[in-house]
Amino acid sequence: MALFRRPRLFEPAGSKGFQVRLAPEARDWVVGLADELEALLVADTEDTRRLFPTAYPDDPDRDAGYQILAREQLIDDRRDAIALMRTTVAKSHMTVDELGAWMRIVNDLRLVLGTRLDVSEEDDEIDVDGPDLESQLIYRELGYLLSEIVDAMTTTLP
Amino acid sequence: MTAPIEVREPDTDEVVEEDRPWVVIVWNDPINLMSYVTFVFRKLFGYSEEKATKLMLDVHHKGRATVSSGTRTEAERDVHRLHSHGLWATMEHDK
Repeated sequence: MALFRRPRLFEPAGSKGFQVRLAPEARDWVVGLADELEALLVADTEDTRRLFPTAYPDDPDRDAGYQILAREQLIDDRRDAIALMRTTVAKSHMTVDELGAWMRIVNDLRLVLGTRLDVSEEDDEIDVDGPDLESQLIYRELGYLLSEIVDAMTTTLP
Repeated sequence: MTAPIEVREPDTDEVVEEDRPWVVIVWNDPINLMSYVTFVFRKLFGYSEEKATKLMLDVHHKGRATVSSGTRTEAERDVHRLHSHGLWATMEHDK
């Protein structure tokens, strides 16, 4: 019985993947943020440090070698995912791969925004008088969206 | 009678260093959602929901968890896959 079951943003739809219940303006809003993220990928700012973590924290030489190989691939993967978001922005249904691209980029957006806001474990409440109110609200909205995507994607695991 | 051949003994520490497996560690951060971290562990490593959840809770409560181990190449591949999914992963020799 599901008298009070709330509609999910991404409903599993068998061979069609997922039915997407995002409003058009919400889809455009997220893709707009992804466009901003793409510009940041090569900007090498402090905001994006969580997108390119250190692999060998105790070995700078080995880490330099890792970064040479990995960084470009990490940028390319994200560009491909953002491109897939653009081509699927208006679709009524998304495949697992398409929704997976949305999931990774929404998570990246939270990493960049959370780094900029210096989010901590204790940050449960929004400071309505703070200078970062808009960014805090965007961060929360992206958290809700990501949670919905993860719930849907989890249904595809064995 | 042949002259003794000078054989260079391998540096014991060097051998031990290379033979020890590498471990991949995921660190806690206040941004990633717990459900997302659990999903990534299940997707990348094929872990059961129970094992993935336990590892996620270790990350959350203890600050870190070892999620895989192997050769340096294998560990680096896993670290890269975790970085590709936005998780804070590093690798080190098993202690």
